Amino acid sequence: MTIERMDLFRSLAAHRGDEIVIMTMSATLQWPLVSQHPLDFDFLAFGMGHASDFGLGLALARPERKTIVLKGDGGLLMSLGSLVTLGRYGPPNLLVLLLENRSYEMTGGQPLAPGVDFAKLAQGAGVSKVETIEFLEDFETALPRLLSEPGPRFVILPVTNSEPLPPVSHTDHAGRVRDLRHALGVM
Amino acid sequence: MTGVGSARTVTVLKDLEFTHVVSIPDGESRHLFAALTDDPEITVISPTREGEGLAIAAGLWVGGCKPLVLLQNTGLMEAGDALRGCGIGPSIPLMLLVGWRGYPGTLAGRLPIDSAYPFTVPLLDAWEVPHWRLMSDEDLPVLAEMDRVASTSSKPAAVVFGHAFLP
Repeated sequence: MTIERMDLFRSLAAHRGDEIVIMTMSATLQWPLVSQHPLDFDFLAFGMGHASDFGLGLALARPERKTIVLKGDGGLLMSLGSLVTLGRYGPPNLLVLLLENRSYEMTGGQPLAPGVDFAKLAQGAGVSKVETIEFLEDFETALPRLLSEPGPRFVILPVTNSEPLPPVSHTDHAGRVRDLRHALGVM
Repeated sequence: MTGVGSARTVTVLKDLEFTHVVSIPDGESRHLFAALTDDPEITVISPTREGEGLAIAAGLWVGGCKPLVLLQNTGLMEAGDALRGCGIGPSIPLMLLVGWRGYPGTLAGRLPIDSAYPFTVPLLDAWEVPHWRLMSDEDLPVLAEMDRVASTSSKPAAVVFGHAFLP
């Protein structure tokens, strides 16, 4: 039971309002195919495994709107302690969507350590709102709730991808930061 | 007496309008950590590793807050990729208050020299992070200088403290 990643992205983009969306790794290649929003933020190359940490800081700073993080399971394994910090400090406006493909996709699809239970890891780390969604229909049904109800929330989404990955875009990192701060009205 | 007063340091940080301190407690900063935790005007966040903390601080800054990262030199060494990726590369003015583990022992001639000691300043130089030394209360104005340089350059900057903060 998995969800085709681009279908998931299309669904999220259709429901998304003025939430900040932080993406990293494979999501940085495919999310822009369905969304060109000033509150989209490409975290690629900003620090391995730290997209949700950055998102936590941003969500704390901007409590008036939800911050959504799209990250992979390989990245999570690089900073597992992040789950503990999410459980301890994660604010109600933070939604982490873990795209679980069980591989390091960007580097050739090398497999992750088998048997890791990300839901149990998150629960054991103190994250109280953890769920796994395995079907696109269930994700679409859950989206209004995920986007409106308070978190912090950690959602595991087993995904596959059958569409070609666009090339990596090496846009100016400082420019990405300036654009997001401008969109947020931060001087 | 060597070392810096924790209460005076908190006052300076509040005057500089820091909103958050991101820090994993360590022996040298424990009194400052306690003073910060007791102060209602500054929010303390304790991550599990320093790289994580730098990324949290970057998110806070992008969102309009003013964080300080309080960490030991060993944590700075761990956090190299986050400093590069969340500070130097994207021009985010992360401000670091770095405990110089090994400094007092080296100063006193103790052997063996803590391996964290000799690499601290060369590491900051290699990353082109401007830095100042905080050894006593008289040095506290360096915090404002770090703030000024980080803000005007929009790049990370650091203050290195050599002795444990005083109660």
